[in-house]
Amino acid sequence: MAVLPEVNKLGFFEIRLESIGGLGANLAGKMLAEAGIVGAGMDGVSFSSYGSEKKGSPVKAHIRFCELGTPIRDTSPIEHPHVIGIFHEALIKTGGASGVRPGGIVLVNSARSAQRIAEDADLQGCTVAVLDATRIALEEKNKVNMAMLGGLFRLCAFLDPEFMKDVIAKSLGKKYPQAVELAIRVFERGYSEIEMLEVPAKESDEASAKVPESPFGYLNQPLGGMVVTPGSSLLKDLSISRSGMLPAFDRATCINCAQCDTACPDLCFVWEEQPDKRGRMQMVLQGIDYQYCKGCLKCVEACPTDSLSRMLEQEGYADANQVKHRFDYVEA
Amino acid sequence: MAIDYSKEVTPGRVKQRMVYESGNEMAAYAAHQIDYHIMGYFPISPSTEVAQHLDLMKTEGKHGIRLVPSDGEHSSAGICYGASTGGGRVFNATSAQGYLYMMEQMPVQSGTRFPMVLNLVCRSVSGPLNIHGDHSDLYFALNTGWPILMCRDPQAVYDMNLIALKLAEDPEVRLPVMVAYDGYFTSHQKRRVQTFEDRADVMAFVGEYTPEGFANALDRENPITIGPYMNEPDYINNRYQMSEAMYRAEGVFERISAEYQELTGREYPMLDLYRMDDAEVAVFVMNSASETIKDVVDELRLQGIKAGAVAPNMIRPFPQRQIAEALQHVRAITVGDRADACGAHGGNMLNEIKAALFTHGNRDTQVVGRVYGLGGKEFGAEDGRRFFELAIEAAEKQTVNIPFDFYGHTPGDPTKAPKRLLKPLNFDELKTGLITVTPNEETGKLAVKIPPLRSLTKKPKRLAPGHGACPGCGIFSGLELFFKGIEGDIVTLFHTGCAMVTTTGYPHSSHKATYIHNLFQNGAATLSGLVEMFWERKRRGEFEGLGLQEDFTFVMVTGDGGMDIGMGPAIGAALRGHRMIIVEYDNEGYMNTGAQMSYSTPLGHRTSTSGVGKTQQGKSFHHKDTAQIMAATGIPYVFTGSEAFPQDLVKKAAKAQWYAQNVGLVYGKILIACPLNWMSPDDQGANIVDAAVSSNFFPLYEVEQGVTAITYNPEDKNKKVPVSEWLKRMGKTRHLLKPENEAALQEFEREVELRWSRLKARHEHPDL
Repeated sequence: MAVLPEVNKLGFFEIRLESIGGLGANLAGKMLAEAGIVGAGMDGVSFSSYGSEKKGSPVKAHIRFCELGTPIRDTSPIEHPHVIGIFHEALIKTGGASGVRPGGIVLVNSARSAQRIAEDADLQGCTVAVLDATRIALEEKNKVNMAMLGGLFRLCAFLDPEFMKDVIAKSLGKKYPQAVELAIRVFERGYSEIEMLEVPAKESDEASAKVPESPFGYLNQPLGGMVVTPGSSLLKDLSISRSGMLPAFDRATCINCAQCDTACPDLCFVWEEQPDKRGRMQMVLQGIDYQYCKGCLKCVEACPTDSLSRMLEQEGYADANQVKHRFDYVEA
Repeated sequence: MAIDYSKEVTPGRVKQRMVYESGNEMAAYAAHQIDYHIMGYFPISPSTEVAQHLDLMKTEGKHGIRLVPSDGEHSSAGICYGASTGGGRVFNATSAQGYLYMMEQMPVQSGTRFPMVLNLVCRSVSGPLNIHGDHSDLYFALNTGWPILMCRDPQAVYDMNLIALKLAEDPEVRLPVMVAYDGYFTSHQKRRVQTFEDRADVMAFVGEYTPEGFANALDRENPITIGPYMNEPDYINNRYQMSEAMYRAEGVFERISAEYQELTGREYPMLDLYRMDDAEVAVFVMNSASETIKDVVDELRLQGIKAGAVAPNMIRPFPQRQIAEALQHVRAITVGDRADACGAHGGNMLNEIKAALFTHGNRDTQVVGRVYGLGGKEFGAEDGRRFFELAIEAAEKQTVNIPFDFYGHTPGDPTKAPKRLLKPLNFDELKTGLITVTPNEETGKLAVKIPPLRSLTKKPKRLAPGHGACPGCGIFSGLELFFKGIEGDIVTLFHTGCAMVTTTGYPHSSHKATYIHNLFQNGAATLSGLVEMFWERKRRGEFEGLGLQEDFTFVMVTGDGGMDIGMGPAIGAALRGHRMIIVEYDNEGYMNTGAQMSYSTPLGHRTSTSGVGKTQQGKSFHHKDTAQIMAATGIPYVFTGSEAFPQDLVKKAAKAQWYAQNVGLVYGKILIACPLNWMSPDDQGANIVDAAVSSNFFPLYEVEQGVTAITYNPEDKNKKVPVSEWLKRMGKTRHLLKPENEAALQEFEREVELRWSRLKARHEHPDL
């Protein structure tokens, strides 16, 4: 049986994966857990936090490893993991890296340097590991999760990567034998392409990551669970749902046919009434409100001209090029 | 206890094998080993996986259970009841509202004394929809006459499922038995589980066949009458027999449990007592929380506090004597109920434990009651410590300050109120005047004029952006396109489903106008009530000065699943002729709960309950023709539509509105893409539904006042494509194009062609 490098008070080595539905973190967590429990002969428990079965919304996977004979009684989500795997960089902003144990490791899927990630996430007293899993996945035409899984195996040295390769071969081999070699290559690249940085602890207050309480409690929640703020989902930022691609809009070639507006599931297109050359009022497409764009690219598919095109999202592009919806707010 | 951790491989007599699985997987695993005859089921989170795992095992030929996909839990209970009268073994799993929908059948099953096993994967029962774990569904089960076994972890789920069947079939009992485990906490957490390695050992334990000597409905020589009309003086005796059987279930459970322990080494007494021998303070909580609390007990013991924990393995019959004995020397106990018994001054367990103490003459133990962990709210070590603090305080003071309260609720900030963001929709913008609908005096049909789509972008969208649907989801492009054809104000009702869940995550809502949710068997009835209230209040002049310029258009939005379970109420509303629209977004499955098959799933398509494997190639029967069923009710207008043909759909929406405001009920079906579960690229939705239309699988047509008109004929336009051209675009159907499935593909093509030919005949003959 493998020996765990470190355990918490109750005897567990804990791993939390932070992801967006569709990136395969759920499956990665499952494979990681099986490698430890079936492969390395440890005991443990694993689960995912579920909302509903949607792609594009945040999802977490939790894995606890322990020695055989350790009572497993805690069913709650992992708050202070030894290892955090963040499958989508934007999750750092929403607290994805929170609660990592002193001396723990945070692995982030990012093209940026470990130093910048550490600064952005205000990480200290832990190791920051960076892996450009999205690039590997795009280059190899494979999924982010295989690369991340490779990275996680490197960080969990008590697990045997050969066992994992065997599992990949067995689970894919039956139906898609041609996919095995590719998946293993992506796994190996993830294993080897990690960049690691030890971030020293600043002597400071240990901030405990408490879940913020809802402002609406039993004293002020509207009766019956009603929502009395129609349309308030406009406050949400869905850019996190994009998995690398977004539509770029070129106004010069747009013929205002509205095919994109019909196709868009996320109501992203912004129109304005303007006089045309003859002075008649016409609806004219202004652009895309990227706050809501999930990058499905249906609009590109629908566009009869070259006005909409698919592009790999670059940092800052959406902010610089978006056209915001003008909602009819109660107060200006 | 569930697992004796001191001995990983327990010294039982049977050969055992370790698996690493979740609670739902273990319920399915036990069922497949027993090889039940029948399972009637219906999808609901978090129990659905049980049927999915069984379907998966079935595709691999691992069991022979006949899995019957029902049209709602009431039906699944009916299927199970009917099957159980036939003398074989019957299994089911459900949760929450699904359980309540089958509730009427529960006392029928127990009162007529037909055994079966039902897994209740506990989840909250609620108004504002919550799919997470608590015991509010379980508490409704307490008075149904079913013995109830409790499971704290996946190991117990497996073990109890084997014990449950033997208990149910025992001649002393002959009652259906429920196995209850916690939704998500246990159903979705994977753990090491010890199982019988050989199926033969399972069968030796539960018995190869059901016990003899009990009548069944399939015995030619011995006809019986099941469920007679029974009044007084006889009925009370039927109930007394049942009551006696229920109490006998305790002793029978203990006997079976001892036998099970001998075989497996795992012990299940009526009560699980943890460090209770000399405990002075204790906590009682059930299922998954009863494991969490043990860590707290250990911690307190290290501090010198004599703490202990009590949890039941069976709550029907209630272990009254055992509880009284366990608490004999305990100074105070906190009882946690994971559901409220609204108005009873305590949860069910609190009051039953108090009754146990009273009945057995214990007036000394202080009892604190708290309702905790509702709707998936976690119960962690910190909460366990707090429960013990309450007990310690009561023990010290020899009184309980607050005997009953909620725990874990939060007041919020009363200085804050939800702040309205948007002004009311501008009526003049919604009523563009760009769309005209004129009845033709001669034909009686409607003539519709619509502007280019570009002009309609001026009309405000009915939904605000920010909903949480998957990238490329076809629901909202389909619905918004439909709404482009509707002028003026709407009120909507959405059935449970993806569109509902993704637009109303509290405290946000994407709906700019009033929206109602009701569970997806009952939306049509609910909206019809609101429609009648509208007309009645209007008749009484009660809308004066309330900003209403024209009548609302009432629109019910449902998925295809909602037209399975909600078919009856939809037909009822149609026959009654309420002035409203039912629009169905058909994505060919129950996508919100994880892509189970619906009746609208076409033949051969892969879903999570119609898997593809050695012994099964996707769904085994043809898709439901809901539009024709609704047309047969004689409503004034029925249509089909798709976002791939926008002008066609906008026109139909305009007609739908006219009929719904002036004549009666309208039904429309929009085929929409689900990239996630169709296993297709996010950007291909419109192209795929286009191919579905162009292959004649999903013809665009309308039935206006009984007369059918095809509104887009791909044959006339030379745009017809083979069905395979549509099927090859989706991962869920690619297997149908393999040579070994040629027969199924041909059968499917034949059906598509048959329905198309009939439709053309109707198009040509107004009398058809």
